[in-house]
Amino acid sequence: MSEHRSDNSAYALAWRLPMILWQGLFFIGPLIFMIAMSFFLVKNYRMEPALQVGNWTKTLSRGFFWDSYFLTLWLAGLAVIITTCVAFPASCFLAFRVSDLARRWAIFFLIIPFFTSYLVRIFAWQVILAQQGVINAGFSLFGIGPYTMLNTKFGTMIGYLTLCLPLAVILQTFSLANIDKRLVEAAHNLGCGRLRTIFTVVVPLAKTGLIVAAVFCFILSFGDFVAPYYLGGSKPPTLSIMIIDTSKSGQQWPRAAVVAIMMIVTMLVVALTAIGYAYRKRR
Amino acid sequence: MKDDITTRWLLRIYTAVIFIFIFAPILASFVFSFNSDRFPTIPLGSFTWHWYVTAFSDSDVWSAAEVSILVALSSALLATAIGFSAAYTDHRYDFFGKKAFLVLALLPPTIPLVIFALATLGWLSIFGASGKVVSIIIAHTVLCVPFAMAVIRLRLNQMDPNLEPAAWNLGATEWMAMKSVVVPFTLPSIVAALCLTAAVSFDEFAVAWFVSGLNKTVPVIILEILTGNIDPQINAIGSVVFVVSISLVVIAQVLVMGRIKKPETV
Amino acid sequence: MTEPLVVFENVVKRFGNFEAVKQLNLNVHEGEFLALMGPSGCGKTTTLRMLAGLEEPSEGDIRLAGKSLVGVKPHERDTPMVWQSLALFPFLNARENVEFGLKMRGMDGVERKRKAFEWLERLGIGEFSERDVNSLSGGQRQRVALARALVTEPGILLLDEPLSALDANLVIRMQAVLTKLQRELGITFVYVTHSQSEAFAMADRVVIMSKGEISQIGTPRDIYRTPANRFVAEFVGRNNIFSGRVNKRGAIDTEAGTLHVDRKLPVGDFVSFVVAADLVAISLSKPKERNVIAAHLISEEFVGSMVTLFFEATGGTEIKVQAQERALEGILRTPGQLLYLSFNASSSHVLKY
Repeated sequence: MSEHRSDNSAYALAWRLPMILWQGLFFIGPLIFMIAMSFFLVKNYRMEPALQVGNWTKTLSRGFFWDSYFLTLWLAGLAVIITTCVAFPASCFLAFRVSDLARRWAIFFLIIPFFTSYLVRIFAWQVILAQQGVINAGFSLFGIGPYTMLNTKFGTMIGYLTLCLPLAVILQTFSLANIDKRLVEAAHNLGCGRLRTIFTVVVPLAKTGLIVAAVFCFILSFGDFVAPYYLGGSKPPTLSIMIIDTSKSGQQWPRAAVVAIMMIVTMLVVALTAIGYAYRKRR
Repeated sequence: MKDDITTRWLLRIYTAVIFIFIFAPILASFVFSFNSDRFPTIPLGSFTWHWYVTAFSDSDVWSAAEVSILVALSSALLATAIGFSAAYTDHRYDFFGKKAFLVLALLPPTIPLVIFALATLGWLSIFGASGKVVSIIIAHTVLCVPFAMAVIRLRLNQMDPNLEPAAWNLGATEWMAMKSVVVPFTLPSIVAALCLTAAVSFDEFAVAWFVSGLNKTVPVIILEILTGNIDPQINAIGSVVFVVSISLVVIAQVLVMGRIKKPETV
Repeated sequence: MTEPLVVFENVVKRFGNFEAVKQLNLNVHEGEFLALMGPSGCGKTTTLRMLAGLEEPSEGDIRLAGKSLVGVKPHERDTPMVWQSLALFPFLNARENVEFGLKMRGMDGVERKRKAFEWLERLGIGEFSERDVNSLSGGQRQRVALARALVTEPGILLLDEPLSALDANLVIRMQAVLTKLQRELGITFVYVTHSQSEAFAMADRVVIMSKGEISQIGTPRDIYRTPANRFVAEFVGRNNIFSGRVNKRGAIDTEAGTLHVDRKLPVGDFVSFVVAADLVAISLSKPKERNVIAAHLISEEFVGSMVTLFFEATGGTEIKVQAQERALEGILRTPGQLLYLSFNASSSHVLKY
C-alpha cells in the first residue's frame, strides 16, 4: 500500500524535473547534437553548420576506417571471451564456496578499483610489463625471456582485463549466488560429474547474469582508448583512438562524430542482441 | 557438491591470483613511487621521496589539484542533489514515462567516455562554454548522477513506506516531511553518494581532457605525462590520487554497508 | 440535530478497475470505540486511510465534525494514526518522536519537551524518553506510537492493526491500556483489525466488512448472537451453522438431523441458521429436548477456564461447543466418545442471505 500514484503537484514536479532537465540538456542534448555535427562542414579549422554527407561517405569509404572497425570489434570480442572465462572460476568460488560475510568483503574489494585511477593502473602495467620490467626480470632469474609484452595485443588484453575483470567477477558472482543451490545438488546427486553439472545446470541457470556481465565487458573494452594506446601501441588505432586523433588534430569533429555514431550503433546492436538472447529462452 | 581437497585449494589459489592481478597495479604504483630507479625492476632500487618532491614542487600539479578538487566537490554536490531527486521520484511516484525517466537516469555509464566527451565538447562549444572549469563540472555531473541515484535509491528501499505518511498525518506538509523525515533517514546514503561521486569525478580523465582546455585536472596531467615518457612522478601523483579516492570509496561503502547489515527492526 | 463526528456518505474508492470500497455509508459517533473488521482486502484499511487523507475517495463525501474532508490534505486534518508498522522515526529518540506533531504545529521547544515527557509518563515509559526507539521492546515502541499520536490532543484517533506485531500476552495488556485510555480521554477511536478477539474485547460497535461493503454493524453481542448473513457468521467463527430445507411441520431437515427454530418459515425453503457455541448443552444420556444431536467428540481446546469442544455429527457436520471447564465436570471427555448435544429453539438465529 505504498504511495505510488500519479501526482502532478508542484511538489512532485520539483523532484521529477531536475534530473530530466539536466540529463536532457547535458546528456541527450550533446548526443543528438553529435548526430547533427556529423553533417557539418569544417573550413579553415572551423566547424560550420551544414547538411552534407561528405563526412559519412569519406569516412565509410576508407579501408583505414574498416580495418580499425574490425580490429576494435575483434579486440573487444576477445576481451569478452577472455574476461568471462578468467572470471568464471573465481566467481563460482565466491558464489558457492565462501560465507556470506566473506563474499561481501570480496565484493567490497572488487568495487574499490572501480573508483581508482585507471590511468595510474595502466601506467603501473607499463612499468611492470616493460622489456626491463618486473616480469621480465623475474623470467631472467629462470634464464628465460625477455619477452616483448608492451605494444602488443597481449598488452592491450592486460589493460582490458584490468578494466573489466572486477566488474565481471561482481556481476557473475551475483548471478551465480542467486541460483537455486538445490538444483545444483540435485544434478550432482543424479550422478552428474562436477564439470558436467557446471555446464549443464549452473551456466544455463545463471545465463542472464553471465551475458549481462559479458555485455558490460564489451561496452567497456569497445570504448576504451587507454589500454590499446598505452599498452597496445595504438598501431593500428582502435575506433576510440581514431576519435581522439581525428578530433584533437585538425578539429575534424564531424568525422570523429561519424566514428562515434558508428560505435554507438554497433554497441546498441551487440547489447540488444545479447540481452534479447539472454532473456528469450528462459521463459 | 563435494570437492576433493585439491580442487578446493586450486580454486582458492586461482581466486587469490585474480585478486592479485586486480590489485597488482595499485600496489606496484605505491611501491614504485618510493623507488629510486626511473625504470623500476627487481631487485628494487633504494627508498626515495624524490618523485613526490618533484611532483609537488611542480606548480602545474598544484593548479591541477585545485581544479580537480573544485570540480569534484561541485559535481558531487550537483550530482547528489539531482540523484536524490531522481531516486525519491522513483521511490514515491508512478507516472507516464517513468521507464524512460529511469533509462535517462541510468544510461550515461553505458556510453563510452570518449564519445560522450566529443559530444559534450561539440555541444558546449555552441554556447561558448567549452574549455572552462564549469564545462568539466557539467559533464562530470552527468556522469555522476546515476551513481548518486543508485546509492540513495538503495537506502530509500529500506524506508518504511508509512514513514512519510506518518509525518503528514502528524501535521507536516510534504516539504516539512521531506526535511524532517526523508532527508534525515537517507542522510548516510547522501554522504555516501557525495563521496562516491567525488571519487568518480576525481578520477575521470577522458571527458576532462576533451573539455578542460587550459584548466587541466590531475588525471589530465597524468595523461599528458603518460603520453610523453615513463616518468615515475606519475606513481607519486597516482598514489596520492589513489589514497584520496580509496578513502572516499571506503567511507561510502562503510556508510552503505553499515546500514544494510543493521536494518531497522520494524 | 447534530451530525455524528464522522460521516461517510456514499463513499467509493477505486484503484484502477478495482473497487476497494463500494458505496460506503457509515457514521462514527463522538466518544465511541468503533472497530472496522474483516478479512484482508475487505476495504477496512482503505476506509481508515481515506479518513486520514492518505487516499482520496473516488466518489462521495467524508465529513469530520460537520466539515467535508474532500480535498483536505493529510496534514490539515487532525486525525492522528497509529500504524501497523508503528512508523516510528528511527533517527529520533522516543521523546523526539512524540514531539514531532507539536514541532510541526510550531510549538516552542521547552513546552514541547514538557508535553512529550508528560505523555510518555502517562503511558508508563517516561524512563525511556531519551532512548533510541530501535532499542525499545515491542510494547514500549507501541506506547511511543500511541503517545506520538495523542500528544496533540486530537478528537479522534485512528488505529491500523496496531497490535498485530505483538505476542499474545502483550496484546491483552495493550488492549487494557487502549480501552482505559479511550474511556479516560473520552475521544473517538476508529480501530482497524482482522482479529475478532481484539474487536470484540474493546469496541463499542463493530463494523464487519467484506469485499468493500459493510456486512453488518452492531455491538459485539449483536454480531455474535445475530449475525446478519452467512459471511458474518462464518467470519465470527464461534458459531455453528446448519442448513437445510423446511419440511411440512416447519422444522428444518439438516444433515445433522431435523432441527427446530423459533420462527415460522415457508415450507420448502432452503435456510441456514446459527447457534452460538456457548448456547449448546452437552449430556451423557439423551435429553428430552426437541433439538438433540448425537455426535462424536473429536478434540478440545482450552483458553483459560473456557473449553471449546469439537464434535462431528452424522453427515460429517462439525459442531463447536463452548463451556466453562467447571460446567463439564462429570462428563467423560475422551476422543471418539458419543455425547448428546442440545439447544433451545430460541437460541437459534436464522440467517438472511
